[in-house]
Amino acid sequence: MNKSLYILFFLSLLSGCRQGGSLFDQPAGTKTGITFVNELQETEDLNILDYLYFYNGGGVAIGDINGDGLPDVFLSGNQVKNRLYLNKGQMEFEDISEQAGIGGNSSWNTGSVMADVNADGLLDIYVCAVVGINGFSGHNELFINNGDNTFTERAAEFGLDFDTYSSNAAFFDYDGDGDLDMYLLNHAVHSQDSYGRASLRFERNYETGDKLLRNDGGRFTEVSEVAGIYGGINGYGLGLAVSDFNQDGRPDLYIGNDFHEDDYFYLNNGDGTYSERLREYFGHTSRFSMGSDVADINNDGQPDMISLDMLPEEEVPLKTSEGDDNIQTQRMRTEEYGYYYQFTRNMLYVNQPDGRFMETALMSGVAATDWSWSALFADYNLDGFQDLFISNGIPKRPNDLDFVRFISNEQISSKMDNTRLVDQKALEMMPSGNVHNYVFEGGADLLFTDRSGDWITRDTLLSGATAWGDLDNDGDLDLVINNLNREASVLVNQSQGKGDFLKVALRYSPANTYGIGTKAFAYANGGVQSRELFPVRGFQASSQPILHFGFPAGTQVDSLVVVWPDNRYQVVRNPGLNQTLQLEPVQTQPFDYGRLRPGATPWFRRSKDDMGLDFVHREDNYTDFNREKLLPYSQADHGPALAVGDLNGDGSEDLYLGGAKRIPARVYLQREGRFIASGIPALLNDSIPENTAALMGDFDANGLADLLVANGGSDYFGDSDYLNNQCYFQSGAGFNAQPLPGQPANTSVLAAADFDQDGDTDLFVGNQTLTGDFGARPDSYLLENQGGQWAISKALDGRALGMVTDAIWTDFNADGTPDLIVVGEWMAPRFLANREGSFREVAMELPSGLWQAIAPFDMDGDGDTDYALGNWGTNSKFTASPEAPMHVYLSDFDENGSRDPVVATKRNGAYYPLVGLDELASQMPMLRKKYPRYLDFAGQTIEQIFGAEALQGAEILNVTELRSGYLKNQGGRFEFVPFPIALQVAPILEFLSGDFDGNGVPELLAAGNYFGVKPYQGRLDAFPGALIKNENEILLGNRVGLDFTNKSIRHLALVRLGQAPYLLAVFNDAPAALYELVKTK
Amino acid sequence: MKIQIGIMAFAGLLLASCAKQATPIEISPEAYHASVDKVTEVMIHDIFSPPVASRVYVYPNIAAYEIMTLQNPEYHSLQGQLTDLGSIPAPAAGAAVNYRLAALVAHIDLSRRLIFSEDQVIAFRDSLYGNWDEQNREEFEASRDYGLQVADFIAGWMDKDNYKQTRTMSKFTVDTDDISRWQPTPPAYMEGIEPHWNKIRPFVIDSAAQFKPVPPPAFSLEPDSPFWKEVREVYDISQEITQKGDESEEVAIAQFWDCNPYVSVTRGHLMFATKKISPGAHWIGIAKIASRKTNSDFDKTLYAYTKTSVAIADAFISCWDEKYRSNLIRPETLINQYIDENWKPVLQTPPFPEYTSGHSVVSGAASTALASIFGDDFAFDDDTEVPYGLPVRSFHAFSQAASEAAISRMYGGIHYRAAVEVGVKQGRDLGKFVTENLQMTHANASMANDGAEN
Repeated sequence: MNKSLYILFFLSLLSGCRQGGSLFDQPAGTKTGITFVNELQETEDLNILDYLYFYNGGGVAIGDINGDGLPDVFLSGNQVKNRLYLNKGQMEFEDISEQAGIGGNSSWNTGSVMADVNADGLLDIYVCAVVGINGFSGHNELFINNGDNTFTERAAEFGLDFDTYSSNAAFFDYDGDGDLDMYLLNHAVHSQDSYGRASLRFERNYETGDKLLRNDGGRFTEVSEVAGIYGGINGYGLGLAVSDFNQDGRPDLYIGNDFHEDDYFYLNNGDGTYSERLREYFGHTSRFSMGSDVADINNDGQPDMISLDMLPEEEVPLKTSEGDDNIQTQRMRTEEYGYYYQFTRNMLYVNQPDGRFMETALMSGVAATDWSWSALFADYNLDGFQDLFISNGIPKRPNDLDFVRFISNEQISSKMDNTRLVDQKALEMMPSGNVHNYVFEGGADLLFTDRSGDWITRDTLLSGATAWGDLDNDGDLDLVINNLNREASVLVNQSQGKGDFLKVALRYSPANTYGIGTKAFAYANGGVQSRELFPVRGFQASSQPILHFGFPAGTQVDSLVVVWPDNRYQVVRNPGLNQTLQLEPVQTQPFDYGRLRPGATPWFRRSKDDMGLDFVHREDNYTDFNREKLLPYSQADHGPALAVGDLNGDGSEDLYLGGAKRIPARVYLQREGRFIASGIPALLNDSIPENTAALMGDFDANGLADLLVANGGSDYFGDSDYLNNQCYFQSGAGFNAQPLPGQPANTSVLAAADFDQDGDTDLFVGNQTLTGDFGARPDSYLLENQGGQWAISKALDGRALGMVTDAIWTDFNADGTPDLIVVGEWMAPRFLANREGSFREVAMELPSGLWQAIAPFDMDGDGDTDYALGNWGTNSKFTASPEAPMHVYLSDFDENGSRDPVVATKRNGAYYPLVGLDELASQMPMLRKKYPRYLDFAGQTIEQIFGAEALQGAEILNVTELRSGYLKNQGGRFEFVPFPIALQVAPILEFLSGDFDGNGVPELLAAGNYFGVKPYQGRLDAFPGALIKNENEILLGNRVGLDFTNKSIRHLALVRLGQAPYLLAVFNDAPAALYELVKTK
Repeated sequence: MKIQIGIMAFAGLLLASCAKQATPIEISPEAYHASVDKVTEVMIHDIFSPPVASRVYVYPNIAAYEIMTLQNPEYHSLQGQLTDLGSIPAPAAGAAVNYRLAALVAHIDLSRRLIFSEDQVIAFRDSLYGNWDEQNREEFEASRDYGLQVADFIAGWMDKDNYKQTRTMSKFTVDTDDISRWQPTPPAYMEGIEPHWNKIRPFVIDSAAQFKPVPPPAFSLEPDSPFWKEVREVYDISQEITQKGDESEEVAIAQFWDCNPYVSVTRGHLMFATKKISPGAHWIGIAKIASRKTNSDFDKTLYAYTKTSVAIADAFISCWDEKYRSNLIRPETLINQYIDENWKPVLQTPPFPEYTSGHSVVSGAASTALASIFGDDFAFDDDTEVPYGLPVRSFHAFSQAASEAAISRMYGGIHYRAAVEVGVKQGRDLGKFVTENLQMTHANASMANDGAEN
C-alpha cells in the first residue's frame, strides 16, 4: 500500500469513528445497540417495476413502552422482521424483539405508530402492511402492550386487521367523544396510463381507499363514507397530517397524494363528518406529495405545514429528471380532467388570519430537497425557532430522462413488456439518487437556512421514515431514521445547554392517556410559541408523544396555556425551563379559540352584488408560450383595461372595462348609485384588439368626456392595426375614434398631465414589448395635445425607453412642473425631469428590477414624497441580487431571424439557464445535436451551452432586485428600501393610495399575484394584498377584509357611488369586485 | 517504451504498405443496406417523429442516387424533377472517382447531418473509411472528396426546404373548448407534433394540398350520425378483437404495423419508452427486402430506396396538411368521454390529429412506388419488425401490405374507418402521381416488369 492510499485509509477510519455533524452526533449501531437494517431483496418477481412503492421503506415509532421514562424505539421492515429496542439510558438500547413478540407476520410492512389503543395507559404499536398485491400476505397488526415488555397481536379483535395497501395510520379523537379513532392511509396502485377523471375519488375501493375508523368502545367501525372521507382508486396516500388547522377545537386532516390526484384538506365539521375544501384554502399544492409535517413555524400560534415532493436542488439531477408538465398539459389536467394546481416541489404553507395558506417554500429556501420522504419540524438547536429535518434518497432515479428516452428501450422495454420484469442490469442504468438528508435552521421571517453538511454530515444513505424523541433525556430532540439497506441512523442532538427547553408530558384521560390533540402555547417576551400533540408526523412514523419547546438561553416564560382535547384549558404561570412538566387537567376552563385569531375591525366589506357590476374578465385562448417558447413569462394577459370617469355627463362616475382579444369591452353607467351595463356601440364594436390600458378625460375641451384605449396582447404584431391605440372623442353625435400616433407596440400604460402647462391634457404612452421580440425596448411617446389633436412631442425622447410597465407624473424635483417617472422590466426606474417643457433624465443609482407599478406615497412620514415600487417578489425561481444579477441573454442563437430570450440565474458562481434541454431545444434544435444525452447537458453553464462567441454577440439585460419596496426621498435623492418579507410572496402589480378609513390621512393599498408563468414557476398566488399606513405599519389584506389571495390584480380604483366611496378591484380572467369602505361610514 | 511502440508501429506500417497492392473498391448493395439500416437505428435511438424521419431518409438517398446517375445511363437524374433541385457538381477532371463509393459516402455524410447522435454514424463511417483507405487510398480519397462535395450541394438544397423555419414556428395550441378538435391523449399527453409540416417544400407534388382528401364525416355526437357510427365501430371492433384475445389475427395485424417511434410507459415513478421504427422506416425496410429478393445491384437498390423515400416524404407532407386542417379528435378521447372511460386502444394513440391516417397515406404511396419498380404482384416475407419482437408476415403484393397497414389502424383503435379508407386512397393517388411524374429510368412508363428483368 503506498503512502497516500494509506493516509486516505487512515482518514476514512477516522471518519468512521466520528460520524455526525456539529449539531447531531451519529453513533454507530455497535455503540447504541440499534442495529436494525431494512434490507430490501430485489427479485425478478418483486422490484420497483412490480411495486411502485418498492423503495418507500419501513416505519419508525418512538415512545416509552415500559414506563421507565426513557423513550424506546420501534422499527418496521418491509421484508425483514420488525424490531423493538428498549432504551437503557446513556444512549444504549437493548433489542427485545424476540421476547416482545412484535416481529410481525405480514410480507410487507410500512408505517408504524405508537398509541394507547386499548386505553390501558400503555403504548401499543400499530404496524401497517401492504397486502393483496405481489403475493403480499398478512394484515395490519396491532401489538397490544402487556405491560411486561411483551406484546400480543390483537388487530382483529379491534377491527383493525386491514389487508389493504396501507402506508400509515394515525390515532386521534376525531369526533370529540374522548376516545381515539383512527385514520388509515392507503395507496393506489392504479395504472398511471391515463389521468382518469378526478371524480374517481368519489367511488370507493377497499384496498386503495383511505379509511376513517370510529372507536366504538374498543371496536373500530368504518365511517369513511358518512364522514365524507374519499376512498377511491386514485388516492396515492403518502402524506398524513393531523392538526386543528382552522383552530376551532376539532382535528382536521391534510392527506398528501402522490401523482396527479389532488391532496385532500379535510376540515372537521364537528358533527362526525369532514368536508374536503382544498381549493378554498390552498392556491396550489405539491404534485408528487410525500411526507408532511405541521408546526407553527412563524410563532404566531397557528399551525403551518410542509408537504414534500421530489425536486432536485443540484443542477445535474435537476436537468436530467423529468420536471413539471408543459403548460398545455397542465391546462388539460386542470380544466379538462378536474384536478387542482400541483407543482413538483416542496410546498410550505403558512396559515393566514383568514384560515387560508400562503405558500412560501421558494422564498423560505425549502422548495428543493430532491427525493424527500419525511419532514420533521422541531426546535433542534433550542433557539426559539422551529428547524426542519428532511430525510432523503432513492436508490435509483426512475424518472431519469436519459433512462426514459434512450436507455430503457434497449435494456428493458421488450423484457418488461413481455414478462413485466426488470432485471438488475436495467436498474443499474438508472442513476442513483442517494442524496444527503437535509437539515434547515429556522429563523425569523419564514426563512430557513440550509445546515446540511454542518449540523449533519452529507450522507449517502437512503433515508425514509424518521421520528424524534429525547432519547437521552437531555432536553434536546434526537432523531431515529429508518434507512434502506443500511443500519438505521440515530442522530444524537448535542444542543444541551446551548438554549433552554421545556418538555410537557401529558396525562389526560383513561381513553386518551397521552392527551393526543392537546395544544400548548408558551408566552414569553411578548411572543408565543405553539405546539400540538399529534405524534404521527413526517412519513410512516410517530414521534415521542410529548410537547417540546426550545428557547434562547435565559428566556423567562410568562405562562404556558394548555388546551386539552376537550377544549378546556389551564394555565401554568412562569413555568421553570429545562424540565419536563408532567401535566394533567386541573381546574380547566372552556377555551375561547377566538383569542388565537387577533380580532381586527375590517376596513373593507364586499358589497352586495357588487352594486350591479357583473363584470367578469375572460382571457382569450392565445398562449404566447406556444409561439415564443422561451418567454420567461407571458405578455398576453395584461388586461383588462379600466377607466373611471363621468362618461355620460350626469355627474356620476362610470366605468369602462376593456376586453381581451375579440371580446368586447364593457361600459357601466352609474344610475341611482348602481352600475348598469350599457351599450355604447362605437366603444364596444372595436372588439378585435386586446385592451390593456384606458383613460377618461375631456381631451378636446368640449365639455364631454373622451376615452383613450391602449392595446396590446402580444398576439398581433408588426404594424397591425389592432395594436394601434385609440382616442374616442365624444361629441353630441357620439364617439369618434382616432388612432394615436406612434409605432404600434404592446402598450402598458397611459398617463396624462399638462406637461407644457398650456391648460390642456397631454399624454405619456408607455410601451412594454414588441410581439415576438421579448427583451426589445420599444419606443414610448409623449403626446402633446394640440387643440384636441395628439402629436408626438419632441420634448421627451422616448426611443427605446425600456420595457415600460407603469409611469406616473409627479413633481419629484419640487420645481412646480410635473416630471415623469417610468418603471419597467429588466430596467431601473427612470426619472425624467421636466425643465421648462423639455425632459432630461436625472441619473439615479437605482436597482434594475422587474418593476410592475409605481405610486407616490409618503412612506416615512417626513412630509416629502416617496415612491412605492411593485416588483416580482422573491417567491419564485427567479433569483437576483447586485452580486448575482439575473440575466436574460438576447440573441438569435438558432439563426432563424428572431432573437431568443434565455433567462439564466447564478448558482455557485456560474450562470445556468432556468429551463431544461427539452424547452431550450424546442426553440433551438441544434442543441439536440450538441447534447444527445440529458446528462451531457446537465450542469452546463450558459457559456458552455452557447459558446463564448455567441454570447458575446448577445445582448444581456439584468435584474439586480426582485423585492418590492419603495424609493425613500432623501432631499431629492432616492434610495431603495425593500418592503418586509410578507410583501415579497408574489409580484405586486398595483398600488392605490387613498383615505380608506376616512381619517384624513391617506394609506397605500398594494395588490398583486400573477399566473402567466410556466408550470416550473408554479402560480404566484400567495399575496393577500396589503394596506400600508407607513413603512412600519402594514396590514395584510386578509386582516382588513380583502379577498385578493389566489387572484391576479390588474387595477384598483376608488369610485364614488352616490356619495359613498367604494374600492374597485379588477382582476385578470376573474370577476371584478367592489368593496365598501367600512371605516368611512 | 513509447519509442519502442513508435518504431514497431512505423515498421508495421511500412510492411503493410509494401505488402498491399491497391485493388479497385467494390461497393455492394449490402453496403448501402447497411448504411440505411444504421440511419434507422440511430433514428430509433434519437426518437424522430414519423414526418421528420421521412426527411432523414429522403435527402441522403437523393444525394447518393444523383451521383449514381452520372455513371449509369440507365437512370435519369432527378434534377429538374424534384422541386428546386439543380445539377450536382461534376467531379474534378481526372479524379479517379468510384461513383458507388462516392454515393455511399454522400449517403453517410448527409445522414450524419440529419440525425442527432452523430457519434454513432461517425463510428460506422470511420470503420468503412479505414477499410477503403487501406484497400485503395487514391480511389477512396477521390471518391470521398466527391461524395462530400455532393453532400454539401444537396445539403444546400435541403436547407431551403423550410425545415429550419418550421422548427421555431408556434406549437400547436389545443382548443379544449371544442370537443371535435384534437386533444393530447394518454398516457403522455404529448403536444401535437409537427403542426407546420405542410410548409415543408414538397418533392414531386406541386403543393401540400394537391391531394387534399374529402373532409371526414361531419362531427356529431348523434348516435345515428355517420361520424358517431364510425366512433362506435372503432369501439365495437376493439371489444370484439379484445375478446378474441391477443392471439387474434386483428391484434397481430395491429401490432405488426404499429410503427410508433415512441410509446411511453409509466409504472409509478418508473417511466420508460418502447421505441419502434416509423411507418416510413417500415416501408424503407420493405424496399430493402424487395431489392434483396430480386438480387438488385447497387444502382437499382439505390433507385428503389430513392423513389420509395420520395413518395413517403411527399405522403407525409400531404397527410400532415390534412391532419392539421381537419384537426379531428382521436377515438380514444371520445370513447373515454362518452362510451367507456376505461377503454384503451390496442395501440397507443400517436400525438397528432386523427384524419387522415398517416400510416395509410404513407403505405398507399410507398406501395405504389415499389410496385412501379418491382411490379405489384410481388410476394415477400416481411421481417422488418423482427428486431422489435414481432413476427414475420407474408404478403403477395405491395398493395395488399398497404391495405393491411391501413386497416391495422382501426384494429389498433387509433383511427376511424374514413381516415383509413380515404387515407390509403390519398396515398395511392399521390404515389401514382409521383411515379408517373418521375422519369428515373428509360422504361419508366411501364414498370411492371422492370423488377423481373433484373
